[in-house]
Amino acid sequence: MTSFIKEFSKGIVTSNPIFVLALGLCPALAVSDRLEKAVWMSLGVLFVLLCSNIIISAIRKYVPNIMRIPVFIVIIATFVTIISLVFEAFVPAIFDALGIYLSLIVVNCIILGRAEAFASKNSVKDSIADALGITAGFAVALIIISLIREILGTGGLAWGDTAIFTLPVLGDHPLTVLALNPGAFLVIGLLLALFRWVGVTKNE
Amino acid sequence: MPEALRKFTPIMFLALIVLVAITLLSLTSSITTPIVEKRIQQQVVDQMKGMFPDVVEWNEDDGLYTLFADEGKTDFLGYAFLATGSGYSSSGINILVGLEDAQTVKEIVILSQSETPGIGTRAMEPAFLDQFIGLNINDVNFIKNGGQIDGITGATISSSAIVNAVRDTAMKKVAQLEGAE
Repeated sequence: MTSFIKEFSKGIVTSNPIFVLALGLCPALAVSDRLEKAVWMSLGVLFVLLCSNIIISAIRKYVPNIMRIPVFIVIIATFVTIISLVFEAFVPAIFDALGIYLSLIVVNCIILGRAEAFASKNSVKDSIADALGITAGFAVALIIISLIREILGTGGLAWGDTAIFTLPVLGDHPLTVLALNPGAFLVIGLLLALFRWVGVTKNE
Repeated sequence: MPEALRKFTPIMFLALIVLVAITLLSLTSSITTPIVEKRIQQQVVDQMKGMFPDVVEWNEDDGLYTLFADEGKTDFLGYAFLATGSGYSSSGINILVGLEDAQTVKEIVILSQSETPGIGTRAMEPAFLDQFIGLNINDVNFIKNGGQIDGITGATISSSAIVNAVRDTAMKKVAQLEGAE
């Protein structure tokens, strides 16, 4: 159980995929303009990473070494296609909002990275912990970024078509740039610097 | 023989994985495809009701909707059908075409498209689409080709995709109507 907790918590803090490893930045930049999109994207990544980690670690002893990467890619692509089909059928608005970035989970280096670096070398149980931890880290990062971008960039917070709250002054004069692409780079850059600064001062 | 066999094992392994993947995918798709199709159908019906607010009942025959304003299907309103144009994007431009009668366009509505924003999408603006209203289907063509539609400079591919799809599909549907009578 201790190894389970250890593998889980490492994904959120010490090897947070976005803020520390700087992996999977493409979805982090592209779908973090709204909290709703960030949450659904994290759910998609959870499904794909969990399933692919389980399967890959279960078959790790049988996969011929030279066929490793193609096999991993086929497995990952299968789960990504399944989740896209499911999203398209059951949450069409989200499917349209996420657009190409849902299918792009296939080439998300977090997923293949975990398959290659972890699931192909560790037990199924530890791989589940790893998948949950890394996804939690990814989700936390995406939610922080999207909260900053949505609240400052649109002057409020909304889920679907319902507004949760609107800020008094900012609601009328939002910092629109934060909701647009340059805002993603700005916010992620500043957060990376913050995490780095906290990490460095802690070590000293 | 064992040597040759060993060479093939990795390929066989990958083939096996692909086989399992295909099975899983076709299973999922057989569940989700009907749901998506039903939704698109619903979308078409909703748009159709926007085009013909008085519609109550309709007949559907091979994608051609014949619309009526009463439940007994005697008060004829018009026809509607889908047309798909191939512009720049591979997913195509889906257009709902409404006809007042077998000759005259009532209105066209773009259901979905993914043309280049700001360039191809200029062909999705009312300034272009409104030209179709009231046109005889034989005049659905650019002025330089003997029709009555003003093209859009810089959005040639997207605008001709719409014009050609509307005209060709309308001709086909009208022929289908005549064949049925």
